Amino acid sequence: MWQVYLKELTELMRDKKTLIFVILLPIFIFPVIFGVMGLVLSSTTNTAMQAEHRYVIINAEQAPKFADALFYHKNFKQVKTDKTSEADLVAAIRNDEFDVAIVIPADFSAKRQAVEQSQWQIIYNQSSQFDFMYRYFAEVLGNFNEQLQRDTLMQLNVDPANLAAIIKPVDVQKVDTAAKRENIGEKFGAVIAYILIPLCLLGASYPAIDMGAGEKERGTLETLLICPISRVSIVLGKFFTVLTTGLVGALITVGSFGIWGAIIGSFAGMAVVQEAMSAIAITELILIFSLLLPISAVFAALLLAISIYARTFKEAQNYISPLSIMIFLPLVAAMMPGVELTTKTALVPIMNVALAIKELIKGTADYGLLALIFGSTLVLASVAIGFCVHWFQQEKVLFR
Amino acid sequence: MIDIQDLAKAFALGKNSKLSDTEKQDVRYSKEAFHSVRNVSFSCGAGEVLGLLGPNGAGKTTTLRMLSTALKPDAGSVLLNGVDVLKQPVKARQQIGFLSADTGLYGKLTAFENIAYFGRLHGMKEDALKQRIDELFTLLNMHDFANRRADNMSTGMKQKTAIARAVVHSPKVVILDEPTTGLDIMTVQTVLDFIKGLKAAGTPVIFSTHHLDEVASLCDRVVVIDKGISAFSGDIGQFRALTDNGDLRDAFLSVLNSATNQQGAA
Repeated sequence: MWQVYLKELTELMRDKKTLIFVILLPIFIFPVIFGVMGLVLSSTTNTAMQAEHRYVIINAEQAPKFADALFYHKNFKQVKTDKTSEADLVAAIRNDEFDVAIVIPADFSAKRQAVEQSQWQIIYNQSSQFDFMYRYFAEVLGNFNEQLQRDTLMQLNVDPANLAAIIKPVDVQKVDTAAKRENIGEKFGAVIAYILIPLCLLGASYPAIDMGAGEKERGTLETLLICPISRVSIVLGKFFTVLTTGLVGALITVGSFGIWGAIIGSFAGMAVVQEAMSAIAITELILIFSLLLPISAVFAALLLAISIYARTFKEAQNYISPLSIMIFLPLVAAMMPGVELTTKTALVPIMNVALAIKELIKGTADYGLLALIFGSTLVLASVAIGFCVHWFQQEKVLFR
Repeated sequence: MIDIQDLAKAFALGKNSKLSDTEKQDVRYSKEAFHSVRNVSFSCGAGEVLGLLGPNGAGKTTTLRMLSTALKPDAGSVLLNGVDVLKQPVKARQQIGFLSADTGLYGKLTAFENIAYFGRLHGMKEDALKQRIDELFTLLNMHDFANRRADNMSTGMKQKTAIARAVVHSPKVVILDEPTTGLDIMTVQTVLDFIKGLKAAGTPVIFSTHHLDEVASLCDRVVVIDKGISAFSGDIGQFRALTDNGDLRDAFLSVLNSATNQQGAA
């Protein structure tokens, strides 16, 4: 068995394609992802926050204090318009003449005098992902409302000392129990799993194809079969080679994740990455790796079984593509909001590993569940290996 | 000494597989299975070269695969120097050298590594292995490209490496499945010289071929397989005697014709 293993490994090390998939890809994929994640996220939010919104205000003279507050707000810039009807204003916004229109009714001060509620209008495009404009507007309006309330109450001779309690009878103070890490882990933990698990498959698939279908295509399989060693030894030798490459791929991936995370986190402006990474200890990286171990064994056995069945390299690739898509399904499911690691989800293959990786990055992993995942995946792996060994003894598979 | 008796092998057909018209005419197809080899018997003694003839799809490759233990026969027996191939496949495999025209090499390994890998799988000790490979390199004139990777070799070099690989463990019998098909003239000559060398060393050789000139120059015995049945088995003299003029092509055709007639009558 080890003869087969050593020979397959020698062959793979001399192959450039393996090196690219197993070593280079995992090393360079993380800096790209971290970079994009940090840059895009911080820059788009910042731009949205700092953007200046062009506004028009109709009947500004009805609420001069409000108009002034808006005028001096750094995120608002007044433009002039002679349009007043709603339809005209909507059309003007669509034509990009300005971003937002605030319509104060012409009878606003009259209604104030009579202490009646007044209905204002704000017209703008609400499809933006970050609606900072409305947040600013609401802030200004809130202050204005409060000022009006104070004025009215003063007129009604209410004691100024009680004003705060009358305007806002209940004030709530929020205390957050989630560590920053938990928050970030929730967002990015699933993404990390989404990258790690397919990389294990990717690292193992090329060698697997080469060792099964490749051997058939080159015409070396028959000679190998009539050597005086058992077919079980041949399969296991090949299986361990595929597993090794899958694991080396995973190890490099996890290592590169840790190292690049630390490096990129240390750059200025990448605080998000740094915060996420600072809390992840070596123990967690080792745990992530040990969860990838049995799932890589499952992949290795499945890939080898497919590859042995296929007649040619191309045929094997055709069978493996749907397999990779199938692997993304549980990964996507694990990324869905509200999907949590429970005793039930811990028994769904692949999804459980993805969820566990997320929990580990969040720092909230339940070690009992981790053991359950490790155990169940190990059982799955041994079934897959058993199938692969059985498969390799079928004449209809070997000589198709 | 190889003795084969009443060998048979059927391959199950898929439930939905549709047979072509030519396949329907082949008596070997039933609803469930394709009886590739139905009844093949022959024997080959020490130092003899046996030529296996037959049309394409007659069952030659299946027969040779059963001999080499790659496939398990459904019925019949194969005795290799007294070892029952079916009962002791691992022991039998140590005595067999196998080669076909499309036998490949591991492209990323050198000639030496390719041969050594199979030597080790046959359980050879490192010292004996090195000595044997050196012997073979001298015999086949391969020292020049011993450390060249198979990917960078010419066809001739590859075939020499494949030959050395097939006999690295000094097999007691050598099985060749169409060893010259698709090879250029120089490479064919390498293969034929190799067979002659084996014959001189007293190793029995069984090889399938479509080239009657190879049969004429090398073979002591001839077996003709038609539709999975050994329609003729005898020495080259008996084969020639099937026709008045002693022409091998006519002899071959007459065997096929009489086999078809017999089957028609049956």
